[in-house]
Amino acid sequence: MRGVTLLAVAVPGLLSCSGHGTAAVSRTPVTYTVTIEAVAFTPPALTVKAGDSIVWVNKDPFPHSVQAKNGGFDSLPIQADRSWTLTPSAPGELSYVCALHPNMTGTIRVE
Amino acid sequence: MKMSVALVAGLLLVPAAGASAQGVDDAQIASIVVTANQVDIDAGKLASAMGSNAEVKKFGQQMATDHAGVNAQAVELVTKLKVTPKDNPTSMSLKEGGATNVASLKKLKGAAFDKAYIDHEVAYHQQVLDAVDKTLIPSASNAELKALLVKVRPAFVAHLEHAKMVQSSLTK
Repeated sequence: MRGVTLLAVAVPGLLSCSGHGTAAVSRTPVTYTVTIEAVAFTPPALTVKAGDSIVWVNKDPFPHSVQAKNGGFDSLPIQADRSWTLTPSAPGELSYVCALHPNMTGTIRVE
Repeated sequence: MKMSVALVAGLLLVPAAGASAQGVDDAQIASIVVTANQVDIDAGKLASAMGSNAEVKKFGQQMATDHAGVNAQAVELVTKLKVTPKDNPTSMSLKEGGATNVASLKKLKGAAFDKAYIDHEVAYHQQVLDAVDKTLIPSASNAELKALLVKVRPAFVAHLEHAKMVQSSLTK
């Protein structure tokens, strides 16, 4: 039974890798990390697919935030050594800023 | 070029205590860093309480939070390194300047307070940034202390730019 389960999981992957996948075969979402350190977002620009996740990890000793310039999302303050995750579901260009340090900016391009 | 050679020669002659060619050792640097942060925490707390402009109050609160975070990290490092912060002319001058600033600000209210606070923040962050670049980073002998200074430097730059933005908004 376990073998059957593994096969069922493996097949879509094989189809996808061999280029014979169909639209019905879903892509495994990817999780990207944006590091917040030394008052900067690294990388400052990232391209992802809809359904992927982006995790912002604050490595500075004080809070930062991730706020969409168009008001679409707002992490509110992310404390030191904490993180915040966003999973965009639709394509678009998401420009964001740290509301606490207005010269910190970044962009997520969702395909 | 001659200066560089002199500096290198000075660094090579650094005694065991870690004093650099520029005359501040790691214990003195630790004191300068902790004092510089504390001075801005004190002014920031005052601004968050006494400021009349919302941006000034917010900026003051953020200075108190950010510099407390930097100080906690600095204290953690110097404790680990077993470096005891040592008072020196620069740290004493920072402390006295901070006390004078707070005393002056307490006599002001409203827009006059906001302007005086933010003008001082612009000048202060520039002054600290100059000290970080010209004295603290070049003088730090311990690699971890130097790395911490390099890491927190962008925070001072960001605060300076932010203070200028708030300063500019007050004059509109």
